Amino acid sequence: MGSKSKALPKGISAAEFDKAVREMRAIVGDEHVLVDEEKLAPYRKIMMPVPDAQHELSASVMPDGVEQIQRIMKVANKYRVPVYPISTGKNLGYGSAAPVQRGQIVMDLRRMNRILEVDPELCTALVEPGVTYQQLYDYLQEHKLPLWFSCPAPSAIAGPVGNMVDRGVGYTPYGEHFMFSCGMEVVLADGQVLRTGMGAMENSNTWQVFKWGYGPTLDGIFTQSNFGVVTKMGMWLMPAPPDFRPFCIQYPNETDITKIVEALRPLRIAMVIPNAVVIAHTLWEAPCTPVKRADYYTGPGAIPDEAVKKIQAEHNIGAWNVYAGLYGTKETNDANWKIIEAVAAGTGGKIITQEASKGSKALEYRFDLMKGKPNLGEFGLYNWRGGGGSIWFAPVSQAKGSETLKQMQMAKTILAKYGFDYVGEFIVGWRDMHHVIDLLYDRSKPEEMEKAYACYDELLHTFAKEGYGMYRANTAFAEKVAATYGPVKRDVEKRLKKALDPNNIIAPGRCGISL
Amino acid sequence: MGVLAFATAAGSAAAGQWRDGAELYQKVCGHCHEANVGPVLKGRGLPPEYIQRVVRMGNRAMPAFRPTEIDDATLADVARRISSGAALARE
Ligand SMILES: Cc1cc2nc3c(=O)[nH]c(=O)nc-3n(C[C@H](O)[C@H](O)[C@H](O)COP(=O)(O)OP(=O)(O)OC[C@H]3O[C@@H](n4cnc5c(N)ncnc54)[C@H](O)[C@@H]3O)c2cc1C
Repeated sequence: MGSKSKALPKGISAAEFDKAVREMRAIVGDEHVLVDEEKLAPYRKIMMPVPDAQHELSASVMPDGVEQIQRIMKVANKYRVPVYPISTGKNLGYGSAAPVQRGQIVMDLRRMNRILEVDPELCTALVEPGVTYQQLYDYLQEHKLPLWFSCPAPSAIAGPVGNMVDRGVGYTPYGEHFMFSCGMEVVLADGQVLRTGMGAMENSNTWQVFKWGYGPTLDGIFTQSNFGVVTKMGMWLMPAPPDFRPFCIQYPNETDITKIVEALRPLRIAMVIPNAVVIAHTLWEAPCTPVKRADYYTGPGAIPDEAVKKIQAEHNIGAWNVYAGLYGTKETNDANWKIIEAVAAGTGGKIITQEASKGSKALEYRFDLMKGKPNLGEFGLYNWRGGGGSIWFAPVSQAKGSETLKQMQMAKTILAKYGFDYVGEFIVGWRDMHHVIDLLYDRSKPEEMEKAYACYDELLHTFAKEGYGMYRANTAFAEKVAATYGPVKRDVEKRLKKALDPNNIIAPGRCGISL
Repeated sequence: MGVLAFATAAGSAAAGQWRDGAELYQKVCGHCHEANVGPVLKGRGLPPEYIQRVVRMGNRAMPAFRPTEIDDATLADVARRISSGAALARE
């Protein structure tokens, strides 16, 4: 019995698999199920340092509608075939559109791309998983609605539902995306449809305005998990401010991170600076400016500090580059601007305003992201080392100067040991920082792939020893990252999984959760 | 009466979200290939088949695009336009 699928789910015979696929075809239509190896190519493309085969999918099913998903759940349960839901499927550097384990069927929700509702008075939206940020942006423009959202850097091709369920971040005052979501619809493994918060009430009109509902708030368990398939999400939009003043403050030394964080934290907590501030290292800015690495260093291993200094001087890039904005009226921004100027002067930083930013692609895309204008400027990062290899190493730090310096130095040392550059930034929440490092390597070279894997592994375990955990992780390291959080949390997750998905059919292994 | 509910706002036909290849180029490809991030594609006489293949397979850091994101017809149209130097700006 030759199934056409190259990578059957573990423990499933070709015959059983083919029966499951046939039943799924009957639900969504023949053309919306792919099994051919060639047709599945776009799902197979990953940037992680593990062989493609490890994340090979068996098939893709592309439903359009909640009812189709409910029926797919029934089939998946009947045949015990695992299904891996994706929304816009652009989780690049975290696993892309490939499943967490070999053999899973990807359930691609990109066809469900309706903007269901926008309320311009309450500033809320309700969207389906296939909606992209670009699409939402165009929609708001077309309807002349002065509303902004926060988006991640790959915004033109990624979308709010996928980003939010992986607890991604953006750069406006609404940059902590899960915090600014409000209400979800979820198809559970048994086919039931749950609406969280106020949405549970049949006739409620407060689903998108009050997050908590009555009793336990369940939304969180559907993020970074595999307890359900999210089919709708509410999100809060921000009224476009009458005056928006983005700026960058550049600092000359790597060790300046200490005083930068100490100076900014109070402004961020008090919301003088309301947005998710970014503190980006030279080597994040350089590729996006753009600067070519080969013009400064062609030797083996990590780029030396002297070369980095030279880049800073020749391209007007700081050792650290702080991106933030003022969002208010002209009067309030004038007043707060004085505070920004005083802080910059007091800490030895150089302010670059919007007017002075011309000519740098890095400044341009950053300033756009701070108002939620989609672009792909950050993909310049991949021209740095070439070869399309990338994983994000993303530990959480306290927003304290000494902590950020310690993390930066730890990371830089370990990266250099394996020959990789420190391409990092800190994204400031209120009290935490997401310390995001792009581990860039050449994926066309097997030995670099091995080194990148070993490097992430060492970073992960060294950081964990110091009590630093990941904010999010790629699928290849899901199990190892989950293990750093200890056994009790994992046991609770397993019990939830058993209760909600006893046949283990939704994305088993995602974030280390499986039966 | 504040709520604008547009059940079909996003263009209900699933794959038919793009008007044509020109719109796709502007909304997706151009973000890199007109912005000094990815290589310039226009005016190089790249064969349409090659363009279509790279879009589906990805290439190094170039992400791969699934048929749910870019349908075959729009992909063929954008590849033809890039290859032949036909109008890529929105008419
Ligand atoms: C250059 C570059 C810069 C980046 N910058 C940022 C950034 O600023 N901020 C940031 O957050 N990320 C960033 N990323 C990472 C990533 O590309 C984004 O987070 C992106 O938004 C995630 O992809 P997506 O939105 O298409 O989600 P998807 O890929 O659709 O979803 C992500 C994961 O969530 C789960 N999932 C998705 N949909 C569902 C569902 N409906 N039900 C249940 N589970 C689901 C799946 O496990 C899926 O793999 C960056 C990547 C690159 C390459």
